[in-house]
Amino acid sequence: MNPSVTNPNRPKRDWKALLLRHETLLLLVLIAEWIFFYYAGTSTNRRGVVVGFGTIDRQFDILRHSCEIGLLALALTPVIITAGIDLSVASLLGLCAILFGKFWHDAGLPIPVAIAFTLVIGGLAGALNGTLITKLRLPPLIVTLGTYSLFRGLAEAITRGAITYTDFPASFLFIGQERWLGVPTQAWIFVVVAIAIGLLVHRTTYGRSFRAIGFSPEGARYAGLPVERRVALVYVIAGVVAAIAAIIYTARLGQAKADAGLGYELFAITAVVLGGTSIFGGTGSVFGTLLGVAAIAVLKNGLATLPIVMRMNAAEEMAGLLTGALLLLALTGSVLPRLWSRWRSRHPATATPELKPKSTA
Amino acid sequence: MKSLLRLGLVAALLLGTVASTHAAANSDLIVAFLPKSKGNAYFISCKAGAEKAAKELGVQLLFDGPTDSNAAKQNEIVENWITLGVDVIAVAAENREGISTALRKAQRQGIKVITYDADAMPDARSFFVNQATPEGIGHALMDEAARLLNNEGEFAMITASLTAANQREWQKHIEARLKEKYPKMKLVAVRPCDDLKDKAQSEATAMMSANSNLKLIMSICSPGVPGAAEAVKQAGKTGQVKVMGLGLPSENRRYVHDGVIDTVILWKTEDLGYLTIYAGVALAKNELKKGATSIKAGSLGTFEIKGDNILLGKPFSFNKGNIDQFNF
Amino acid sequence: MARYFRELSVAGALALVLLGLAVFAPAFYQPQPLLSLVTREAPTLIVACGMALVIISRQIDISVGSQFSVIGVCAGLLAAKGWPLGLVLLASVSLGGVLGALNGILIAGLGLPSIVVTLATLVTLRQGLNLVRQGEFVNLPDGLQWFGLSQSGGQWTLVIAALVILVLLGWGMRHVSAGRLVYAVGSDAEAARLAGIRPQLCTFLVFVFMGALTGLAAMMNLVQSPQVQPLSGSGLELKVIAAVVVGGVAISGGRGTLWGVFAGLLLLACIAPALIHLRIEAYWEKAIQGGIILLAVVADGVRSRREGAGK
Repeated sequence: MNPSVTNPNRPKRDWKALLLRHETLLLLVLIAEWIFFYYAGTSTNRRGVVVGFGTIDRQFDILRHSCEIGLLALALTPVIITAGIDLSVASLLGLCAILFGKFWHDAGLPIPVAIAFTLVIGGLAGALNGTLITKLRLPPLIVTLGTYSLFRGLAEAITRGAITYTDFPASFLFIGQERWLGVPTQAWIFVVVAIAIGLLVHRTTYGRSFRAIGFSPEGARYAGLPVERRVALVYVIAGVVAAIAAIIYTARLGQAKADAGLGYELFAITAVVLGGTSIFGGTGSVFGTLLGVAAIAVLKNGLATLPIVMRMNAAEEMAGLLTGALLLLALTGSVLPRLWSRWRSRHPATATPELKPKSTA
Repeated sequence: MKSLLRLGLVAALLLGTVASTHAAANSDLIVAFLPKSKGNAYFISCKAGAEKAAKELGVQLLFDGPTDSNAAKQNEIVENWITLGVDVIAVAAENREGISTALRKAQRQGIKVITYDADAMPDARSFFVNQATPEGIGHALMDEAARLLNNEGEFAMITASLTAANQREWQKHIEARLKEKYPKMKLVAVRPCDDLKDKAQSEATAMMSANSNLKLIMSICSPGVPGAAEAVKQAGKTGQVKVMGLGLPSENRRYVHDGVIDTVILWKTEDLGYLTIYAGVALAKNELKKGATSIKAGSLGTFEIKGDNILLGKPFSFNKGNIDQFNF
Repeated sequence: MARYFRELSVAGALALVLLGLAVFAPAFYQPQPLLSLVTREAPTLIVACGMALVIISRQIDISVGSQFSVIGVCAGLLAAKGWPLGLVLLASVSLGGVLGALNGILIAGLGLPSIVVTLATLVTLRQGLNLVRQGEFVNLPDGLQWFGLSQSGGQWTLVIAALVILVLLGWGMRHVSAGRLVYAVGSDAEAARLAGIRPQLCTFLVFVFMGALTGLAAMMNLVQSPQVQPLSGSGLELKVIAAVVVGGVAISGGRGTLWGVFAGLLLLACIAPALIHLRIEAYWEKAIQGGIILLAVVADGVRSRREGAGK
């Protein structure tokens, strides 16, 4: 008996099974990837030191480098679940980074206060996106395309393109460059944000409403959900998380520049899609996003440890190319089940054997 | 279906690297060379010199860098090289402090570190191969512009992007030199071209029409030189508005011959690369030690060392007379 | 009149800017620099026309910049090998069509969202080109510039060609049934399907057409200088989408004209030289562009809200 009939409150078993299957597969791929790079990318180098992918140092580097993109991917997950998109998160990272530098350097604010102000700015910027999308019913694509330009442009204008903020105190750089309790500091921040977003999306009514809105905004409205408020909320959250990513980025590099985060949106979106969140909205998984981020980070960094790639002097291009290709593959893969079932339903003759009437006599 | 695709990707990578993982160990020295931006012609010519030196010395050269100036990517690449266990890392630092953390780590592992073109923190490297200080570069550019204009007139500047650290430094010194030595000259506009030749052309066209007394356009970003030259040519102002800047012979040859560009200045970047490799290898072989006052670099001869700066010397001016001798 | 309110308001804004320049910076109006400016923008106009079609059909294509670069380099290499110009043109347009078809198959055939597909093709093409070319310029043979004509001959040829294409496409969209199909599919794909139109085929062809136009634009850019820079198309997509959006084409599809796009493009193209003439610092450029785009988008949103409320 179909459980959805007996208990309409439970999500259809097909949905759950599908989701679960996706993340398990991704986990398997991640493990396979990791094992591959461990063997292909680790060696004892010419100095007799064990180096490469398999070292703790390297793993922590991967962790460090993926915190910012991971945060952006986390920021995008609720947005994409509501069938929206936010192309401006990476530009917002840049704007927040330089504003943070400005608050600290020009306004002389103490670091914690500067951080707080930056988070507020991030939220406000997200609110700008959210307001334009909900109040004016504008498509998220075009609004965030505009803010993608605007935020980056503001970052350049404010710094006159030229100013870079540096010389941050060591206590601040600790966040991005040192370890706390044996693990890179920013990883702790990342974990906290991941848990928060995960709980929000999967364990609260807010998260439920995101999925409902993504599945059918009209249906959600008829069901009495405050659609506009919830949609605006996801963009505000995205803005705040982008601001957090900006702080970590600045701490890691020790500088705040207008071009911070340039190009990160591709990796973030790829991670989310890879993780099983449907680009059409309605379903999604924060855990999947995390796996997606890990898969991409491992791929990107693992590639760089392969001798053949190093010899080609093409680590960055390969990473970009493969990520682009991976995104296409993931997208294609995500719609194939649907196309397959649609094809099957249109060609039942080939799918099921024809029942021929038995001839008597 | 999706899992199949993913496994396929992994399998392809596997096949692609099986041979290379077990490649025969090479006992040659490995020198890793990091530019600020791989695509920038300036650094491509550095690479040419570096390759020449590497061949002469019998060492293996690794050249990789971010496609656009990107401090974060530079860090990543250095980390990779530490992993690989190279012997020497030569870096043109996009961000002084940022890259130094990675460089110190390399030094701790016994890798020799040397910087060129743009320095890192002094404790993170053994020597800095300096074509000239940003001050020297700025002065050379300004002086050449003044020479072309007989010390008076209006000129404009095209830079790469507003955030490019190198160019900002040079601009600062150009403006300082202008103020100090050439009161009869005036800088009327500074525009970025985002490393795009076409954009430089548009900007130059507008600059000329907005400033009818413009006498010279200086481009401190290499795609900007041919861009500005084309603009001058199309405006029919060849000879009236002079064009000069930091650029590559190969990109500007045509314009130099047509008289549109007077001078293209470059720190024989080929020599820069060459010298850097020689210095790096000498360091690795312990032939170059702290306190040295000079270093001999193959066919280029001897270079002066001031403190921990290895000086390349004066910039080279390419003009009609000599530009054809160069291939980069 | 009301139907073309959007287009007229952009034209009005453009007129204001031009008027302002006439008053505050009359030096802007010199014939040669203006001709150069307009010639520089001619390829962009072509790509903008294609983008208008894409957006009217309710899709988007942010990979045009990378397509432009790839085609430009390929065309340059072919020309350097000695291929005659006509053949290179054919090759460019065909290559563009193929690249467009790649997008089209994924978007129309598989039903994937165009933003993500073209984001992926943008990166893949750009990085692939970087890998192969490493930023190196392609030097073109002599006699190729300006089709071998004189400079002003070539410039006028390009400008007139661009305008002719604009007029043809503008007329075609209104009066050729294939053109009206694009509007139909963009307004309501389901209704179009019920009316017997095949939206998927239409979408596919729109992307192929976009690619072909990009190829043509790359050629038009090629003949303007003696070298091709691989980085040259970078940022083209934003420029073009901005022109289209500012020009009144609704992002939600089904509405817009090429005249508006023309006005929008001119408006945005004036910003950079205007800043130079008005002696405003360069770092304001991006912020101003983003601001204009948002303004246009907000104005559209406000207007459609009012329209919706009035119903």
